[in-house]
Amino acid sequence: MSLQNLILILIATPGMLFLGLSLVWLLGGNIPERAMSRLTKAVYSLLAIITALIGYQMWSQDLTSVHVSLGDWFTVAHYGFPLSLLIDKLSLPLVGITVVLAGIVGSFSVRYLHRDPGFFRFFLLLHLFTFGALLVFIADSLDLLIGGWELVGITSVMLIAFFQYRPDPVRNALRVFGTYRIADLFMLVAVFLAHHWFGTASWGGMFSGDWPGHLNKLDGGAASFIAVLLVFAASGKASQGPFCGWLPRAMEGPTPSSAVFYGAISVHAGAYLLLRVQPLIHSSWIATSLVIFIGLTTAFLGTMVHRTCADAKTSLAYASQTQLGLIFAEIGFGWTNFAVIHLVSHAMLRTLQFLRSPSMLRDYNRVHAAAGGKIDPTGEYFESLLPKKIQIWLYRFALGRGFYDAILDRFIIAPVMAVARFLAIFDPDISPPKVEPVTQPTTLKN
Amino acid sequence: MQFLSLPYISIGIGSLIIGACISLRAKSPRMGAVVSSIIAFLSFLLAAREVALINHGRLFDPFLTWFDADGLDAVPMAFFAALTVMFVTVAPKRDAGGRSLAGMLIIAAATQISYAGANLAVLATGWWLTCAPFILGMFGKYPGRRFENTFLIASSIALTAGILLLHHIEIDELSHTSMLAFGLLIIAVVLRKGVFPFHGWMVHAFEYGPLLPTALLFNGHLGALLIARSETTALPVTAKHALDILGMVALATTVITSVRAFAEKKPRRLLAYLCLSQASFILVGFATANVQGITGGLIHWLVVSTASAGLICIVRMLEVRLSVIDDPSGHLGLATKAPRLATFFLVCGLALIGLPGTLGYCAEDLLFHGALENHPWVGLCLPIATAFNAINIMRLFSILFLGVLPKHVIDIPDALPRERWPLVACVLFLVIGGLLPGRIVSWRSDAADQISGALDYQEPHTPSASGH
Repeated sequence: MSLQNLILILIATPGMLFLGLSLVWLLGGNIPERAMSRLTKAVYSLLAIITALIGYQMWSQDLTSVHVSLGDWFTVAHYGFPLSLLIDKLSLPLVGITVVLAGIVGSFSVRYLHRDPGFFRFFLLLHLFTFGALLVFIADSLDLLIGGWELVGITSVMLIAFFQYRPDPVRNALRVFGTYRIADLFMLVAVFLAHHWFGTASWGGMFSGDWPGHLNKLDGGAASFIAVLLVFAASGKASQGPFCGWLPRAMEGPTPSSAVFYGAISVHAGAYLLLRVQPLIHSSWIATSLVIFIGLTTAFLGTMVHRTCADAKTSLAYASQTQLGLIFAEIGFGWTNFAVIHLVSHAMLRTLQFLRSPSMLRDYNRVHAAAGGKIDPTGEYFESLLPKKIQIWLYRFALGRGFYDAILDRFIIAPVMAVARFLAIFDPDISPPKVEPVTQPTTLKN
Repeated sequence: MQFLSLPYISIGIGSLIIGACISLRAKSPRMGAVVSSIIAFLSFLLAAREVALINHGRLFDPFLTWFDADGLDAVPMAFFAALTVMFVTVAPKRDAGGRSLAGMLIIAAATQISYAGANLAVLATGWWLTCAPFILGMFGKYPGRRFENTFLIASSIALTAGILLLHHIEIDELSHTSMLAFGLLIIAVVLRKGVFPFHGWMVHAFEYGPLLPTALLFNGHLGALLIARSETTALPVTAKHALDILGMVALATTVITSVRAFAEKKPRRLLAYLCLSQASFILVGFATANVQGITGGLIHWLVVSTASAGLICIVRMLEVRLSVIDDPSGHLGLATKAPRLATFFLVCGLALIGLPGTLGYCAEDLLFHGALENHPWVGLCLPIATAFNAINIMRLFSILFLGVLPKHVIDIPDALPRERWPLVACVLFLVIGGLLPGRIVSWRSDAADQISGALDYQEPHTPSASGH
């Protein structure tokens, strides 16, 4: 089978699976757990084999990239939405970890969510997520990438609200969705401006040559502006910089979804975007400095907050944020290969940690017992080198999680709500008069 | 002068009127209403097919020659007829009384008259008739009915006055009279569509009025039709400037209503702001005056109609199942009891705000590109309004379907078969249309070509788009 066909099967399989299962359910059908489990395992095994075949064929034919052009999705006048896919040295490892880790998480979830009322919903969303993530990694243009980007976002939100009968997941899902939408705005505007100013948003139009040695074709202030917008968009997906508050909130979802989204794949999509547009970012000192600044400050904040978290998953979330911050900084410094290795290994390790987090205490006790009960903490840490006052201040700062939520509530949400309430002056209040409830004399009863 | 092979338009409109008469007298009025609306749908579908066969040219009705179908209105006619079938089918029992169904069919017939009108006088007649069921009180009494009727009548008077003035002047002359005439037409549109600052009546109608008939009135998008019709005529420069201003006001509506919705938690009001905001995108698209923007606006017309119809129907279904929905104090958690309704709601909502994979995404993509080409600031404002609307649709979804189920809700039915099939059709249209948008784009791009051609718009030279 040709490489082009393999790539098409790879991307279409999870999408078709999602559509088919959804339609069956919407029309009143019911799919038993066992069938869903077998189907999931079979599909992810197939995807893993296809990915391996693509990698093997590229290696044996000494190809650095494979393009699949499907023409335009739709065309109006001189504008066409390009439908083309690309697999190269950057996307192949990410496609590999997506397929393998989503498969592992799917397999894990069969037992983890056994008899859960949301079993079917979880797997539907997992298939949609896989489709979205694959689309992000093999899109040949920003236009197509944004499609997958938003699908990953919406599935992420739906899984945060997975335990919909509890108020906290619902509240947090809404907050995360809001953050995603605002961050995605940067991406949307970047895409439209790229079309407007340069007439293209495809990788081939923006860069020449194959990754990692590709060169930037866009220049000037406009290119710099687009680069800055993309940095903010990537920060949103990776919970960095001004968008760093959502990742701990996302831990409300079931553990397997936390593993696949916030440990393995979704949070790394931002880093992938930066790696893909790295020459564009490096052509602008503002964008480069911004990436490094955002990465390092988030890493600093993350590592401090991580030490004060009382629960395992939130602690892991901040640890992820720290590592992602470092990956951002590495990309900013131009250490491309190191960043890719860091990204892939971090995804693997973090998935393992998330999946093991429900049995963390048992693991700790087992290791403790195996070591003869002698793995006591040393009591030494670098913070102790700082003056006591600063230590206390930093501790309070970390305990308050950088006061991120308070700042957001006070300086962003409150003003927007004030404007929303002010706009009520244009809605005439002609509601019916409220009738006061008749109060009945109450009698005390024993 | 070319004619349809059969008088499909007369049959369609006649069928709706007969259906309305039957509904008024029949003991079980739903059956008559459904059958008549299906006949109307099939008639308009056949008319649209004939128009497509002659490359979206103009075909007159052989029986009543003041009706015609062309590239602009043939698709919306078939589409609106499908929506009518949906509304009369899913209407809960308490909304499916004889007078109520007859009222809905009259709104449908009147809207079709406006669509099919071969001249502005017929369009105005349909415009007036759509208001009749509300003015006659066919949907019962509710608070603020007079307020709503005032706006409907005012918009009809403005339209009639504008048309009368246009009839007496030379359209090309740049006089105060012509400016006044176009000004009146624009006032009619602003009042009818609930464009800022006159959006309050529409929100009020959604909150207190009969939801399904109001939705039918709203989804006619007669204001957008009037603008599209005006644009296809050779307008004087003054009128083009007026349309530009209308586009800016529509843009303000998209942003202001999307922000205003943040302060709302009543489902009906929230829904009203969402629908108004997204419907204003259509006018913004028309104001871009280029093929992408206008095509985007025309496709968005279909998306808003389908998605908002789905959302409104679901809210109404929940209202009749549960009394606390009017002003919920917290989350209602209904997804536990009605997971399919929750899914339908989510898909329709996400399509409305342009999730990739739905038709809404294609529409908004074209709209944004079109807007950016002519008015860069408009192009930048639209995604902001979309982002706000997305947050609001998610808020509405979470209020209705997520959270803790109230203790008194023991059991409510999920989507009944009568409700499920029309909703599945809506979802399929939005999703399949989104995955394979080529056909739908081609339905509307011919009309867009016609409009932009009439505007004599010169495409600016840009580098080859999207990397071609």
